[in-house]
Amino acid sequence: MKTKAQTGRAKEVLLIEDSPGDVRLTREAFRDADASIHLHVAADGVEAMAYLKSDGNQPESPRPDLILLDLNLPRMDGREVLAYIKADAVLKTIPTIILTTSDAEPDIAKSYQLQANCYLSKPGQLDAFEVLMKSVTEFWLKAATLPPRLKA
Amino acid sequence: MKTKSPTIRKPRFASGSAVLTAESEESGAKYRGLLEAAPDAMVVVNQLGEIVLLNVQAEKQFGYHRDELLGQKVTNIIPVGFAERLIADDLRSAADALAQQIGTGIELTALRKDGSEFPIEIMLSPLENADGILVTAAIRDISVRREAEKHLARMEGRYRGLLEAAPDAMVVVNTRGEIVLLNVQAEKQFGYSRDELIGQQVKNIIPEGFAERLIADDLRSAEDALAQKIGTGIELTARRKDGSEFPIEIMLSPLESAEGILVTAAIRDISVRREAEKHLARMEGRYRGLLEAAPDAMVVVNTGGEIVLLNVQAEKQFGYSRDELIGQQVKNIIPEGFAERLIADDLRSAEDALAQQIGTGIELTALRKDGSEFPIEIMLSPLESAEGILVTAAIRDISVRKASERHLARMEGRYRGLLEAAPDAMVVVNPTGEIVLLNAQAESQFGYSRDELIGQKVTNIIPEGFAERLVADALRSDEDALAQQIGTGIELTALRKNGTEFPIELMLSPLESAEGILVTAAIRDITARRLAEAHLLEKVDELNRSNVELGQFAYIASHDLQEPLRMVASYTQLLARRYRGKLDSDADEFIAFAVDGAARMQRLIQDLLAYSRVGTKGQELIDTSSEEALGQALINLRGSIEASGALVTHDPLPAVLADEMQLIQLFQNLVGNAIKYQSSGVPLVHVSAAKNGGAKWTFKIKDNGLGIDPQYFERIFGMFQRLHKREEFAGTGIGLAICKKIVERHGGNISVESEPGHGSTFSFALAESLEKT
Amino acid sequence: MKMIDKNGMPTEVLLVEDSPGDVRLTQEAFRDANAGVHLHIATGGVEAMTFLKREGNRANAPRPDLILLDLNLPKMDGREVLAHIKGNPALNTIPTIILTTSDAEADIAKSYLLKANCYLTKPVELDTFETLVKSINDFWLMKVRLPQETPNA
Repeated sequence: MKTKAQTGRAKEVLLIEDSPGDVRLTREAFRDADASIHLHVAADGVEAMAYLKSDGNQPESPRPDLILLDLNLPRMDGREVLAYIKADAVLKTIPTIILTTSDAEPDIAKSYQLQANCYLSKPGQLDAFEVLMKSVTEFWLKAATLPPRLKA
Repeated sequence: MKTKSPTIRKPRFASGSAVLTAESEESGAKYRGLLEAAPDAMVVVNQLGEIVLLNVQAEKQFGYHRDELLGQKVTNIIPVGFAERLIADDLRSAADALAQQIGTGIELTALRKDGSEFPIEIMLSPLENADGILVTAAIRDISVRREAEKHLARMEGRYRGLLEAAPDAMVVVNTRGEIVLLNVQAEKQFGYSRDELIGQQVKNIIPEGFAERLIADDLRSAEDALAQKIGTGIELTARRKDGSEFPIEIMLSPLESAEGILVTAAIRDISVRREAEKHLARMEGRYRGLLEAAPDAMVVVNTGGEIVLLNVQAEKQFGYSRDELIGQQVKNIIPEGFAERLIADDLRSAEDALAQQIGTGIELTALRKDGSEFPIEIMLSPLESAEGILVTAAIRDISVRKASERHLARMEGRYRGLLEAAPDAMVVVNPTGEIVLLNAQAESQFGYSRDELIGQKVTNIIPEGFAERLVADALRSDEDALAQQIGTGIELTALRKNGTEFPIELMLSPLESAEGILVTAAIRDITARRLAEAHLLEKVDELNRSNVELGQFAYIASHDLQEPLRMVASYTQLLARRYRGKLDSDADEFIAFAVDGAARMQRLIQDLLAYSRVGTKGQELIDTSSEEALGQALINLRGSIEASGALVTHDPLPAVLADEMQLIQLFQNLVGNAIKYQSSGVPLVHVSAAKNGGAKWTFKIKDNGLGIDPQYFERIFGMFQRLHKREEFAGTGIGLAICKKIVERHGGNISVESEPGHGSTFSFALAESLEKT
Repeated sequence: MKMIDKNGMPTEVLLVEDSPGDVRLTQEAFRDANAGVHLHIATGGVEAMTFLKREGNRANAPRPDLILLDLNLPKMDGREVLAHIKGNPALNTIPTIILTTSDAEADIAKSYLLKANCYLTKPVELDTFETLVKSINDFWLMKVRLPQETPNA
């Protein structure tokens, strides 16, 4: 269960996803799941870097409690972003969940090797997708104990 | 001492003639009687040398009348030698006279009245009377004796000559067994000097066997002796002076002599002969032994072509008994080719014969007693003997050899035939790596003519890999060679005459021959095969690439298709959700179709992806429990099993070689279909497996469902083939296509037996697991 | 009968927990949530490592799909185990969830720094615990794509 410090605060979730359709779907799914989630979106790896490097100082880009990362991103591939996150001393503790269409074993294995916290394969059906997102919020934003927010 | 002899008075007439007294008349008469009866001539002579008395014999001998001789000088009848004795000797005294033994025979010459002379022997003896000493002379006419003596002397001389000249020792023995005569050979043989032997008992030099014969035979009479043929050779043992013994052969012959019948013995030292005889006997024994022991028939033939000697093998071979062949013409058993050689070669001399090498084997035809012929090989060699040069023939029956030669020739012919007929090039190589035999194929493969290759080193046509095997393996022994499996195909590179190379496969096998172990190599040009292999590999590569491409394509296609499709499907659903009832009914319907279409498309793409993954994501086929796989599939299907109340049963299922995931999928699809395609009632599904004599297990999934029309048996395994409307049964129609692909990937085939309304049985075969679980 | 997750394969979960009571509770909770889970127990860090390395009497141990790790273990404690797991290329892809009583920030921070996939504070109440286990099952065993064991890690 959560610490007192963690309860009550809105959760900041960074979604790194290039497909606007998927962005919207995710947003809808989260809204249905939990209204207190702030969903931030970076459309590609470069934007993601920019967001994350801001050290959480900017109110528009607060440090995420959770990162949802698509692997198939233009410009900078999702694996690179993952590697970057998990190499960064400050960012590495942020639970980073791969959320991608691929269910190819190599992609899964690679992601875990790069220390993704877990890997989720986007289901094709809408309702399955919604269920998945609910499950994510249930586990990560309610059940799990997230790492403490670092003081600046 | 004075001899007491009747006193004889001197007759009265003539001076010095003595007058007989009455007394002496009486004794004189007695004396006259004796005188007259004496066989010899008796003459009494006075000291003056006058004949005073004589007998009738004297009258006869000398041819005088008594009166003519009385008072005559004795010298008239015995001119010389008598009268002198009277004086010369002086008749000193009777005693002296006696002492002188003038009584012994004196040989003189007497004179007859007619003037002829004749030899006499006189025996004088004194006679005392009143007138003084008279001499009585017994006079024997020894003419005959002289003649005999002369003859004898002549004969003796001749005989002695012969005796001395005789090569053998000659010894003359008297009836008492004493040696009376011998020759120088006898001296030498026995080691004695003549004097040492004369008078000796012959037993001293011939201890046994001789002397006895003299007594035993008694030499009764010369005629008898001759009739007994005691002249034949008798073998005895003689003893030398030094005590050593030696074997002799004596030849006896009688000899009449004054002393009686003497026996002349010709004594031959037969030591050498004995030795030679022993040696000969030994050699003969040995030779005979060899002859009899010889494996071949041995026949000795004389210059006349007659068989003089043979052994038991000859008897057997020719079917004759020894006696039947001895003396026969060798032509009777070897009609041609042998006897001619004896004459033609003439066996001129032992050296010539040897020079001719008539000892080499000659093949001829021999004739048995029963008339049958058989092939022989004869080896001739000359043999010097007392009978001249004989030829020993060793005769070998070569029927078997001939038969095997014919067989061999036949086999060789056949083998040669095979060799030439062989589709592959055949080359036979000797232990030193030289080609000794090849066939026409070898000629054409390598581009050489036969002559160019025979004798060549095999390395000229197969540079590496072949000759080394001969050396390396050393083809030590047949067993080793065979054990080495030099018969398996070896791929090497061969070299044609024109220098081009080509790949070959070599099959070696050992071949025993007179020359040692040869290696037969079957050489197959595998150029075409290599090409085909390369081509095949290429094709496989292509296929693999194509498969990979296909997988990639399928993956990419489905993956990339899924994206936009997901959008369509998701948003149409959102639309449907949010705006149902908020737009008009057409909108609802349109949206419903869109949602449905999108959803189906999603399923199709997922199925397509699943189908492509059968190949691309296929795992290695390993030992898998088909029973467990079925179990998994049933768990996966538990929803539909429970919903339909289906009863799925199975027999014990075997371990097979399979990809477990795919096997589960296979069972899941087939059992799922069996449950799904039902009309009503309880679906009954039974899974069984049987091995129909092969190494594969045939699985059967039998259901009591709708059944399938035979015309569709093939089509149902096609991709996206459906036999029912969407409203009737859900599904994209990919299920059986996936099954088919899975089964084919496992090396089997899938098929169906069915009758509409009577259920279906799907069958497929899987390889048995190699491991015993 | 083999138990399945959505991949059709049995789910192997390694629970590293020294408290027998908690072990029992977890077993019960998992049985309710997903009867198909094979729950393996290691009562200490050493045992856990032996299990993961498949050594000695654990030579036939399956590779866990998920590790639930208590921090407070005797001898080798959970942090060490976590460090070992995440430091071993052959093991570091196995999702390792810290399931422990502590809610101390230091522990939480340390765990995430040591690359724990997730940190869960064990609830005190039973039903909450059961809910948590359900949640773990639902997310990690039913939704998350877990890495398959590859022959060459």
